[in-house]
Amino acid sequence: MQVEKFSYDNQIVKQFTIAALIFGIVGMLVGLILAIQLYMPELNLGLQYITFGRIRPLHTNAVIFAFVGNIIFAGVYYSLQRVCKTRMFSDLLSQIHFWGWQTIIVLAAVSLPLGITTGKEYAELEWPIDLMIAIVWLTFGTNMFGTIIKRREKHMYVAIWFYIATFVTITILHVVNSIEIPVSLIKSYPIYAGVQDALTQWWYGHNAVAFFLTTPYLGLMYYFLPKAANRPVYSYRLSILHFWALIFLYIWAGPHHLLYTALPDWAQSLGTVFSIMLIAPSWGGMLNGLLTLRGAWDRVRDNPILKFMVVAVTAYGMSTFEGPMLSLKNFNAITHYTDWTIAHAHIGALGWNGFLSFGLLYWLIPKMWGTELYSKKLANLHFWVGTLGIVFYAIPLYWAGLTQSLMWKQFTPLGILQYPNFLETVLQIIPMYILRSIGGLLYFAGIFLCVYNLIKTAKLGTFIKNEDAEAAPYIKEKDQMKRGLIHRWLEKRPAQFALLALVVVLIGGLVELIPTYLVKSNIPTIASVKPYTPLELQGRDIYIREGCNTCHSQMVRPFRSETERYGEYSKVGEFVYDHPFLWGSKRTGPDLHREGGKYSNLWHYLHFEDPRQMSPGSIMPQYPWLFTQSIDISVTPAKINVMRSIGVPYEEGYENFANQDLMKQANTIADDLLNNGVPAEPDKEVIALIAYLQRLGTDIKGNQTVNK
Amino acid sequence: MRSNKILFPFFVSLFFFFEQSNLFAAGDESLDKVMRFMLVLTIIVIAFVLWLTVVYSEKNDLEGRVFKAPLTALKKALTKSIPIEKEQEILLHHNYDGIQELDNRIPPWFAALFYGTIIWAVVYLLSYHVFDDGQVQSKEYNLEVQQAAFERQILIKSGTFINEETVTLANDAATLAEGKEIFAKNCVTCHGQNGEGLVGPNLTDDYWIHGGGIKNIFKTIKIGVPQKGMISWQTQLDPKKMQAVSSYIMSLHGTNPANAKLPEGTKWEEPAQADTTKTIGS
Repeated sequence: MQVEKFSYDNQIVKQFTIAALIFGIVGMLVGLILAIQLYMPELNLGLQYITFGRIRPLHTNAVIFAFVGNIIFAGVYYSLQRVCKTRMFSDLLSQIHFWGWQTIIVLAAVSLPLGITTGKEYAELEWPIDLMIAIVWLTFGTNMFGTIIKRREKHMYVAIWFYIATFVTITILHVVNSIEIPVSLIKSYPIYAGVQDALTQWWYGHNAVAFFLTTPYLGLMYYFLPKAANRPVYSYRLSILHFWALIFLYIWAGPHHLLYTALPDWAQSLGTVFSIMLIAPSWGGMLNGLLTLRGAWDRVRDNPILKFMVVAVTAYGMSTFEGPMLSLKNFNAITHYTDWTIAHAHIGALGWNGFLSFGLLYWLIPKMWGTELYSKKLANLHFWVGTLGIVFYAIPLYWAGLTQSLMWKQFTPLGILQYPNFLETVLQIIPMYILRSIGGLLYFAGIFLCVYNLIKTAKLGTFIKNEDAEAAPYIKEKDQMKRGLIHRWLEKRPAQFALLALVVVLIGGLVELIPTYLVKSNIPTIASVKPYTPLELQGRDIYIREGCNTCHSQMVRPFRSETERYGEYSKVGEFVYDHPFLWGSKRTGPDLHREGGKYSNLWHYLHFEDPRQMSPGSIMPQYPWLFTQSIDISVTPAKINVMRSIGVPYEEGYENFANQDLMKQANTIADDLLNNGVPAEPDKEVIALIAYLQRLGTDIKGNQTVNK
Repeated sequence: MRSNKILFPFFVSLFFFFEQSNLFAAGDESLDKVMRFMLVLTIIVIAFVLWLTVVYSEKNDLEGRVFKAPLTALKKALTKSIPIEKEQEILLHHNYDGIQELDNRIPPWFAALFYGTIIWAVVYLLSYHVFDDGQVQSKEYNLEVQQAAFERQILIKSGTFINEETVTLANDAATLAEGKEIFAKNCVTCHGQNGEGLVGPNLTDDYWIHGGGIKNIFKTIKIGVPQKGMISWQTQLDPKKMQAVSSYIMSLHGTNPANAKLPEGTKWEEPAQADTTKTIGS
């Protein structure tokens, strides 16, 4: 057969690599700042733009979508060309993809500190950026499928299966979770409310972890690990089994983020059982990775690349075991809302994603520059500094999470909360926060060793922009599906493969989401629950803008220790007008769902001015800007209109009177403050926020027995 | 003869294990039990090491082949892995940019784990949502609350837990001193240094908004009047402390402090003995 000559595009890989390293440094730096702010809130320098609630989403977005994202694209562009034996489908699409993605990242880095956010975790970016993401993602998909179609290799290698599943699923997740109605260019409300929004969001959030942090990385592992180890993949059968099982089961597990919340019991149970069933398929990936190293273990000792990969795959195995355990309700009751979750996430992020990325980079850069790694010693040092960083990061947080949770639940022999003051439980774990930031610092220092080493490596060699290759063309031949070789047949058909993957991932999503949207019995309505007043709505948007939900949950779980501390547990019917839901996922501060009426307006006013004058030792930042910035009442009518269009029963024409009501309520609060000795301007943002907080959880207060 | 050597330590350890079987039951002497358990564990380890030396010396099994034989067989049965030396036999004709694939069997332990979790999932769903009513968490919560209420009742009956119905006026100096301390720490900002009233009402006159007398005062402190700024103290002060501060407030009656706030509420008269639970307002 005629051998064809062609070349691989290394330029695009290089671009993505450089972008990944730059944004990796930025993302981790922001993480470090956040870790220190947890015990030193004044590190925000009094600036709203770098206050915890605003830059926490910046950190998560930067490390997930900028660092990991760019590594994925670098790895996919490198490996896809080679396992398809062809150049990318279109260099132009590659470049559009690259520059489009970087523009999105820059827009995110500007908009999030400005407080432009949807408030939905890992999907904080506002609707214009969401649209851009969709376009750029489809560009990537087109380029990828184009490449697969013009491949010279008969079958698609397992890495490609994972890339396809990633593309298909992320597309669905992003589209479904981002359906929102714009209020202005920088503000929108999701069409889902309350429990529906929560379920959709965590279906998305969980599977962003599954299909952005896991499946593409498994694909990368399947290419780069056998390459680096120079060993055959352990088991092809295991690849098939764990691939399909993984993508089918993963999509169901989202509700495990909402255990013991107001989510219906049946959905919670699905979350639990599918998480447990995920153990084996997840471990399938780890096994195939580690067992591929059989016969290469002697090389692991002196090869930093393999070391990074071994720890990465092990961390993957650890966190995919820990995850299902955390999905068991009795375990979840202890760990949820605490720092345990943060530790768990970082075993995955720092161990699995971080270390696999470093292993990949140390292998890839010398290859593309046609040379050897500049310094094995430095890479080894990086490995140890990074490992130590992970240990120092995770162990204090596990400890902190467990300590705090036990303190929340502790009753005295008389049956009264032992630590009724939430702050006490926070102050107890501050030393752990300090240790954790040291762990973070170590890991952060490691990436500089990496960058230095890679730059030096690049200087040793010369960049091979277009790498020459040759292969025989793939001539399609008719074949029949044969017993025992069905998958082999499928591996030749990218379209059918993608379609099947789509069907497989859709099943779980549909079964969980559709009944929650349609079946009324899932959300028993409560007559006393009314829409927010215009002032409360504005206050709620300020709450979202400041990212209050990153530290305060709004979900009192049905535990005696919580109903004693906060009040009646949260009912699903209370959230029907919450676009978006603000249940939160972490309690750095106390739950706020029953905050309404708990303290006076004055208390809140002084608390926002300086939390420490009301709660000595508090780690909440000050919010001086809320006292100088005025409520933007020009958008009130638009907000009312959009809310009405998505089912909130404001009367027709109410938008014309909304601002009158708003001022009336604001004046009432200002008058109350004045009566208590503090003159306050009614048009300031703090007034709206107080109005919202005083409303929280009060709709059903009449129906409850506050005390026994 | 040899079988005795194996069986004897085995039965000894079994005996100790059953002896310790209630180890994980909650109890006051759990620490003691842990210590005993550790002791037994140590004895078992020592016995095991002794047994090993006997077996090794008798068999001259320096590489531990005899000893490890069952383990090696088990490992083989669990992994069904083809040894590296023979892997050419299962090397598939796949070659992706130099990456080859072996056709090792799915490890039986992995398959067992996979199918095991699926069976577990079915059992879980059936037991909660088919054989039970599916009201998982509200049921759990109600049980927890009932249990606590039951325990609370016992405490109330035994007199350990004071509530607004069982509270009595304390007159001893120590309690009043404690009450004064609590008052100074928590109450003076609203009710004044001497109970003369500031934002909150005067506590020294005959007039009470939410009822006078030890029981009503205790109740007001416990539950609070949030809409007027009086917070509920029951999660912060235990009942004894609330009794102390209530008693102290009672002792302020008629002290006529300077700058006393005007009377608010209705004049309170101590009811006849029989009707002590009546309260005014809420």
